[in-house]
Amino acid sequence: MLLKIFFTFLKIGAFTIGGGYAMIPMIKREVCERQGWISEEEFLDGIAAAQTCPGPIAVNISIYAGYHVRGKIGMLVAVLGTILPSTISILVIAMLFQRYAEQTLVQRAFTALKPAVVALIAVPLINMAQKSGLTLKNAWFPLAIAILVGLLHITPVYLILITIIYAIWEARK
Amino acid sequence: MIYLNMIYTFFKIGLFSFGGGYAILAMIQQEVVLKNAWITEAEFVEIVAISQMTPGPIAINAATFIGYKKAGIGGSLLCTFGVILPSLLIMFAITVSYLKLKKLPWFQQIFKRLRLLSVGLIAAALFMILGHAVKDWYSVGIFFCCFLATWIFKLSPFMMLIIAAIFGMVFGIV
Repeated sequence: MLLKIFFTFLKIGAFTIGGGYAMIPMIKREVCERQGWISEEEFLDGIAAAQTCPGPIAVNISIYAGYHVRGKIGMLVAVLGTILPSTISILVIAMLFQRYAEQTLVQRAFTALKPAVVALIAVPLINMAQKSGLTLKNAWFPLAIAILVGLLHITPVYLILITIIYAIWEARK
Repeated sequence: MIYLNMIYTFFKIGLFSFGGGYAILAMIQQEVVLKNAWITEAEFVEIVAISQMTPGPIAINAATFIGYKKAGIGGSLLCTFGVILPSLLIMFAITVSYLKLKKLPWFQQIFKRLRLLSVGLIAAALFMILGHAVKDWYSVGIFFCCFLATWIFKLSPFMMLIIAAIFGMVFGIV
Protein backbone atom coordinates (compact mmCIF):
# COMPACT_ATOMS: atom_id res chain seq x y z
CA MET A 1 0.00 0.00 0.00
CA LEU A 2 2.73 2.46 0.98
CA LEU A 3 4.61 1.66 -2.23
CA LYS A 4 1.46 2.30 -4.21
CA ILE A 5 0.99 5.67 -2.51
CA PHE A 6 4.62 6.54 -3.19
CA PHE A 7 4.50 5.65 -6.89
CA THR A 8 1.15 7.32 -7.45
CA PHE A 9 2.47 10.60 -6.06
CA LEU A 10 5.79 10.14 -7.80
CA LYS A 11 3.87 10.02 -11.06
CA ILE A 12 1.87 13.09 -10.09
CA GLY A 13 5.08 14.93 -9.21
CA ALA A 14 6.87 13.87 -12.37
CA PHE A 15 4.19 14.68 -14.91
CA THR A 16 2.89 18.03 -13.78
CA ILE A 17 4.85 20.84 -15.25
CA GLY A 18 3.96 24.42 -14.43
CA GLY A 19 3.48 24.34 -10.70
CA GLY A 20 0.79 23.79 -8.09
CA TYR A 21 -2.49 24.56 -9.79
CA ALA A 22 -1.54 22.48 -12.82
CA MET A 23 -1.22 19.49 -10.51
CA ILE A 24 -4.77 19.56 -9.14
CA PRO A 25 -6.58 17.83 -12.07
CA MET A 26 -3.88 15.15 -12.22
CA ILE A 27 -4.06 14.49 -8.46
CA LYS A 28 -7.84 14.27 -8.69
CA ARG A 29 -7.69 11.76 -11.53
CA GLU A 30 -5.20 9.55 -9.71
CA VAL A 31 -6.53 9.76 -6.18
CA CYS A 32 -10.30 9.89 -6.72
CA GLU A 33 -10.92 8.17 -10.04
CA ARG A 34 -8.14 5.65 -10.60
CA GLN A 35 -7.36 4.58 -7.03
CA GLY A 36 -10.66 5.55 -5.42
CA TRP A 37 -8.83 6.47 -2.22
CA ILE A 38 -11.00 9.46 -1.37
CA SER A 39 -14.38 10.68 -2.62
CA GLU A 40 -14.78 13.69 -4.87
CA GLU A 41 -16.38 15.68 -2.08
CA GLU A 42 -13.53 14.94 0.32
CA PHE A 43 -11.14 15.99 -2.42
CA LEU A 44 -12.86 19.36 -2.86
CA ASP A 45 -12.60 19.94 0.88
CA GLY A 46 -8.95 18.95 0.60
CA ILE A 47 -8.29 21.54 -2.10
CA ALA A 48 -9.97 24.23 -0.03
CA ALA A 49 -7.87 23.20 2.97
CA ALA A 50 -4.70 23.07 0.86
CA GLN A 51 -5.33 26.60 -0.34
CA THR A 52 -5.83 27.95 3.15
CA CYS A 53 -2.67 26.33 4.46
CA PRO A 54 0.66 28.07 3.75
CA GLY A 55 3.12 26.34 1.45
CA PRO A 56 2.98 24.80 -2.03
CA ILE A 57 -0.53 23.61 -2.90
CA ALA A 58 0.64 20.35 -4.45
CA VAL A 59 2.52 19.45 -1.28
CA ASN A 60 -0.47 20.38 0.89
CA ILE A 61 -2.91 18.31 -1.13
CA SER A 62 -0.60 15.29 -1.06
CA ILE A 63 -0.39 15.61 2.72
CA TYR A 64 -4.19 15.64 2.84
CA ALA A 65 -4.63 12.69 0.48
CA GLY A 66 -1.75 10.67 1.98
CA TYR A 67 -3.15 11.13 5.48
CA HIS A 68 -6.62 10.02 4.40
CA VAL A 69 -5.27 6.87 2.80
CA ARG A 70 -2.76 5.72 5.39
CA GLY A 71 -2.36 8.12 8.32
CA LYS A 72 0.90 9.89 9.18
CA ILE A 73 3.16 7.47 7.31
CA GLY A 74 0.94 7.74 4.24
CA MET A 75 1.26 11.50 4.47
CA LEU A 76 5.08 11.45 4.59
CA VAL A 77 5.31 8.94 1.74
CA ALA A 78 2.95 11.00 -0.43
CA VAL A 79 4.98 14.18 0.15
CA LEU A 80 8.22 12.41 -0.65
CA GLY A 81 6.75 11.09 -3.90
CA THR A 82 5.48 14.54 -4.89
CA ILE A 83 8.72 16.43 -4.34
CA LEU A 84 11.27 13.84 -5.45
CA PRO A 85 10.94 14.35 -9.25
CA SER A 86 11.10 18.11 -8.74
CA THR A 87 14.17 17.95 -6.50
CA ILE A 88 16.07 15.53 -8.73
CA SER A 89 15.35 17.33 -12.00
CA ILE A 90 16.29 20.72 -10.53
CA LEU A 91 19.51 19.31 -9.05
CA VAL A 92 20.54 17.96 -12.45
CA ILE A 93 19.69 21.27 -14.13
CA ALA A 94 21.49 23.29 -11.44
CA MET A 95 24.64 21.22 -11.97
CA LEU A 96 24.47 21.60 -15.75
CA PHE A 97 23.50 25.24 -15.50
CA GLN A 98 26.63 26.22 -13.61
CA ARG A 99 28.66 24.70 -16.41
CA TYR A 100 26.70 26.01 -19.37
CA ALA A 101 25.36 29.36 -18.09
CA GLU A 102 28.17 31.20 -19.88
CA GLN A 103 27.33 29.67 -23.26
CA THR A 104 25.94 32.11 -25.79
CA LEU A 105 23.06 29.84 -26.78
CA VAL A 106 21.81 29.61 -23.17
CA GLN A 107 22.18 33.35 -22.71
CA ARG A 108 20.31 33.99 -25.95
CA ALA A 109 17.46 31.73 -24.83
CA PHE A 110 17.20 33.79 -21.65
CA THR A 111 16.84 37.08 -23.53
CA ALA A 112 13.37 35.82 -24.52
CA LEU A 113 12.68 33.74 -21.40
CA LYS A 114 12.94 36.74 -19.08
CA PRO A 115 10.08 38.77 -20.61
CA ALA A 116 8.17 35.48 -20.97
CA VAL A 117 8.40 35.00 -17.19
CA VAL A 118 6.78 38.41 -16.67
CA ALA A 119 3.86 37.24 -18.83
CA LEU A 120 3.85 33.99 -16.91
CA ILE A 121 3.18 35.89 -13.68
CA ALA A 122 0.79 38.44 -15.23
CA VAL A 123 -1.73 35.84 -16.41
CA PRO A 124 -2.34 34.10 -13.05
CA LEU A 125 -2.44 37.56 -11.47
CA ILE A 126 -5.50 38.37 -13.58
CA ASN A 127 -7.07 34.96 -12.92
CA MET A 128 -6.46 35.21 -9.18
CA ALA A 129 -7.84 38.75 -9.10
CA GLN A 130 -11.07 37.55 -10.70
CA LYS A 131 -11.45 34.68 -8.24
CA SER A 132 -10.54 36.57 -5.08
CA GLY A 133 -13.70 38.69 -4.79
CA LEU A 134 -11.93 41.85 -5.92
CA THR A 135 -14.20 44.92 -6.22
CA LEU A 136 -13.58 48.63 -6.79
CA LYS A 137 -14.10 49.16 -3.08
CA ASN A 138 -11.48 46.71 -1.83
CA ALA A 139 -8.97 47.01 -4.69
CA TRP A 140 -6.93 49.46 -2.58
CA PHE A 141 -5.83 46.59 -0.37
CA PRO A 142 -4.00 44.36 -2.92
CA LEU A 143 -2.73 47.55 -4.57
CA ALA A 144 -1.27 48.78 -1.29
CA ILE A 145 0.30 45.36 -0.68
CA ALA A 146 1.83 45.38 -4.16
CA ILE A 147 3.36 48.83 -3.59
CA LEU A 148 4.58 48.09 -0.05
CA VAL A 149 6.22 44.79 -1.01
CA GLY A 150 7.14 45.36 -4.65
CA LEU A 151 8.39 48.95 -4.54
CA LEU A 152 9.17 49.71 -0.90
CA HIS A 153 10.47 46.18 -0.24
CA ILE A 154 8.62 45.64 3.01
CA THR A 155 8.60 41.97 3.97
CA PRO A 156 5.26 40.17 3.43
CA VAL A 157 5.66 38.59 6.89
CA TYR A 158 4.37 41.61 8.84
CA LEU A 159 1.66 42.35 6.30
CA ILE A 160 0.37 38.77 6.56
CA LEU A 161 0.40 38.87 10.37
CA ILE A 162 -1.43 42.22 10.41
CA THR A 163 -3.99 40.88 7.91
CA ILE A 164 -4.64 37.79 10.03
CA ILE A 165 -5.07 39.82 13.21
CA TYR A 166 -7.35 42.31 11.43
CA ALA A 167 -9.49 39.48 9.99
CA ILE A 168 -9.95 37.90 13.43
CA TRP A 169 -10.89 41.29 14.89
CA GLU A 170 -13.34 41.83 12.02
CA ALA A 171 -15.00 38.46 12.63
CA ARG A 172 -15.35 39.21 16.35
CA LYS A 173 -17.28 42.43 15.75
CA MET B 1 25.95 28.89 10.27
CA ILE B 2 24.90 29.32 6.67
CA TYR B 3 23.05 25.99 6.92
CA LEU B 4 21.05 27.16 9.91
CA ASN B 5 20.26 30.43 8.22
CA MET B 6 19.20 28.63 5.03
CA ILE B 7 16.82 26.24 6.75
CA TYR B 8 15.40 29.10 8.84
CA THR B 9 14.93 31.31 5.77
CA PHE B 10 13.16 28.63 3.75
CA PHE B 11 11.05 27.64 6.76
CA LYS B 12 9.93 31.26 6.90
CA ILE B 13 9.24 31.28 3.16
CA GLY B 14 7.11 28.13 3.52
CA LEU B 15 5.31 29.53 6.55
CA PHE B 16 4.37 32.88 5.00
CA SER B 17 3.43 31.81 1.52
CA PHE B 18 -0.31 31.75 1.05
CA GLY B 19 -2.15 31.29 -2.21
CA GLY B 20 0.25 28.94 -3.97
CA GLY B 21 3.08 29.28 -6.46
CA TYR B 22 3.06 32.80 -7.73
CA ALA B 23 2.30 34.45 -4.40
CA ILE B 24 5.36 32.66 -3.00
CA LEU B 25 7.64 34.51 -5.43
CA ALA B 26 7.45 37.84 -3.60
CA MET B 27 8.44 36.13 -0.36
CA ILE B 28 11.39 34.31 -1.99
CA GLN B 29 12.55 37.55 -3.60
CA GLN B 30 12.35 39.41 -0.33
CA GLU B 31 14.28 36.82 1.67
CA VAL B 32 16.74 35.40 -0.84
CA VAL B 33 17.48 38.31 -3.19
CA LEU B 34 17.02 41.43 -1.05
CA LYS B 35 17.75 40.31 2.49
CA ASN B 36 20.39 37.58 2.19
CA ALA B 37 21.66 38.37 -1.33
CA TRP B 38 22.20 34.68 -2.03
CA ILE B 39 21.23 35.20 -5.67
CA THR B 40 20.83 38.27 -7.89
CA GLU B 41 17.61 39.58 -9.41
CA ALA B 42 18.76 38.22 -12.79
CA GLU B 43 19.32 34.75 -11.38
CA PHE B 44 15.93 34.89 -9.69
CA VAL B 45 14.19 35.44 -13.04
CA GLU B 46 16.20 32.55 -14.49
CA ILE B 47 15.15 30.25 -11.66
CA VAL B 48 11.48 31.12 -12.17
CA ALA B 49 11.80 30.30 -15.88
CA ILE B 50 13.57 27.00 -15.14
CA SER B 51 11.01 26.12 -12.44
CA GLN B 52 8.17 26.37 -14.88
CA MET B 53 9.88 24.12 -17.40
CA THR B 54 10.56 21.35 -14.89
CA PRO B 55 8.10 19.24 -12.90
CA GLY B 56 6.87 20.20 -9.46
CA PRO B 57 5.89 23.27 -7.43
CA ILE B 58 7.87 26.51 -7.87
CA ALA B 59 8.69 26.74 -4.17
CA ILE B 60 10.34 23.30 -4.16
CA ASN B 61 12.22 24.02 -7.39
CA ALA B 62 13.46 27.38 -6.15
CA ALA B 63 14.50 25.96 -2.77
CA THR B 64 16.44 23.13 -4.42
CA PHE B 65 18.13 25.42 -6.94
CA ILE B 66 19.11 28.14 -4.48
CA GLY B 67 20.23 25.60 -1.88
CA TYR B 68 22.45 23.86 -4.42
CA LYS B 69 23.93 27.10 -5.61
CA LYS B 70 24.87 28.24 -2.10
CA ALA B 71 25.87 24.97 -0.43
CA GLY B 72 25.79 22.01 -2.81
CA ILE B 73 23.54 18.97 -2.57
CA GLY B 74 23.32 19.13 1.24
CA GLY B 75 22.15 22.73 0.98
CA SER B 76 19.52 21.87 -1.58
CA LEU B 77 18.07 19.11 0.60
CA LEU B 78 18.04 21.40 3.65
CA CYS B 79 16.27 24.23 1.84
CA THR B 80 13.71 21.85 0.38
CA PHE B 81 13.05 20.34 3.79
CA GLY B 82 12.78 23.82 5.31
CA VAL B 83 10.21 24.99 2.78
CA ILE B 84 7.90 21.97 3.23
CA LEU B 85 8.19 21.71 7.01
CA PRO B 86 5.49 24.34 7.75
CA SER B 87 3.22 22.56 5.26
CA LEU B 88 3.72 19.27 7.03
CA LEU B 89 2.94 20.73 10.45
CA ILE B 90 0.07 23.04 9.56
CA MET B 91 -1.56 20.98 6.83
CA PHE B 92 -1.55 17.98 9.12
CA ALA B 93 -3.39 20.00 11.77
CA ILE B 94 -5.85 21.36 9.20
CA THR B 95 -6.46 17.93 7.64
CA VAL B 96 -7.40 16.50 10.99
CA SER B 97 -9.78 19.32 11.89
CA TYR B 98 -10.82 20.97 8.62
CA LEU B 99 -14.51 20.06 8.82
CA LYS B 100 -14.76 21.81 12.18
CA LEU B 101 -12.52 24.74 11.27
CA LYS B 102 -14.32 25.71 8.09
CA LYS B 103 -17.50 26.55 10.02
CA LEU B 104 -15.76 29.12 12.23
CA PRO B 105 -16.33 32.75 11.17
CA TRP B 106 -12.81 33.95 12.07
CA PHE B 107 -11.26 31.12 10.07
CA GLN B 108 -13.31 32.04 7.00
CA GLN B 109 -12.56 35.73 7.43
CA ILE B 110 -8.78 35.14 7.62
CA PHE B 111 -8.75 33.36 4.29
CA LYS B 112 -11.08 35.82 2.62
CA ARG B 113 -8.57 38.55 3.51
CA LEU B 114 -5.50 36.47 2.65
CA ARG B 115 -6.88 35.72 -0.82
CA LEU B 116 -6.91 39.44 -1.58
CA LEU B 117 -3.46 39.78 -0.04
CA SER B 118 -2.01 37.13 -2.32
CA VAL B 119 -3.28 39.05 -5.36
CA GLY B 120 -1.21 41.95 -4.07
CA LEU B 121 1.81 39.70 -3.52
CA ILE B 122 1.72 38.38 -7.08
CA ALA B 123 1.55 41.96 -8.34
CA ALA B 124 4.54 42.77 -6.10
CA ALA B 125 6.60 39.95 -7.66
CA LEU B 126 5.66 41.36 -11.05
CA PHE B 127 6.78 44.89 -10.09
CA MET B 128 10.09 43.60 -8.81
CA ILE B 129 11.13 41.74 -11.93
CA LEU B 130 9.52 44.04 -14.48
CA GLY B 131 12.32 46.57 -14.70
CA HIS B 132 14.87 43.84 -14.91
CA ALA B 133 13.17 41.63 -17.48
CA VAL B 134 11.44 44.12 -19.80
CA LYS B 135 13.72 46.93 -20.89
CA ASP B 136 13.77 47.31 -24.67
CA TRP B 137 11.47 46.89 -27.69
CA TYR B 138 12.59 43.31 -28.17
CA SER B 139 11.58 42.29 -24.63
CA VAL B 140 8.37 44.39 -24.70
CA GLY B 141 7.34 42.57 -27.90
CA ILE B 142 8.08 39.16 -26.43
CA PHE B 143 6.19 40.03 -23.26
CA PHE B 144 3.04 40.98 -25.21
CA CYS B 145 3.19 37.91 -27.47
CA CYS B 146 3.61 35.57 -24.49
CA PHE B 147 0.91 37.37 -22.52
CA LEU B 148 -1.63 37.12 -25.34
CA ALA B 149 -0.68 33.52 -26.12
CA THR B 150 -1.30 32.34 -22.56
CA TRP B 151 -4.20 34.64 -21.67
CA ILE B 152 -6.30 34.66 -24.84
CA PHE B 153 -5.15 31.51 -26.62
CA LYS B 154 -4.67 29.46 -23.42
CA LEU B 155 -1.24 28.17 -24.39
CA SER B 156 0.22 26.23 -21.43
CA PRO B 157 3.04 28.02 -19.54
CA PHE B 158 5.37 25.14 -20.37
CA MET B 159 4.83 25.36 -24.14
CA MET B 160 5.02 29.14 -24.01
CA LEU B 161 8.44 29.02 -22.31
CA ILE B 162 9.77 26.38 -24.71
CA ILE B 163 8.74 28.50 -27.70
CA ALA B 164 10.24 31.61 -26.08
CA ALA B 165 13.52 29.76 -25.43
CA ILE B 166 13.78 28.62 -29.05
CA PHE B 167 12.88 32.10 -30.29
CA GLY B 168 15.58 33.57 -28.07
CA MET B 169 18.21 31.11 -29.31
CA VAL B 170 17.48 32.12 -32.91
CA PHE B 171 16.88 35.87 -32.63
CA GLY B 172 18.34 36.90 -29.28
CA ILE B 173 21.34 39.21 -29.15
CA VAL B 174 23.65 38.87 -26.16
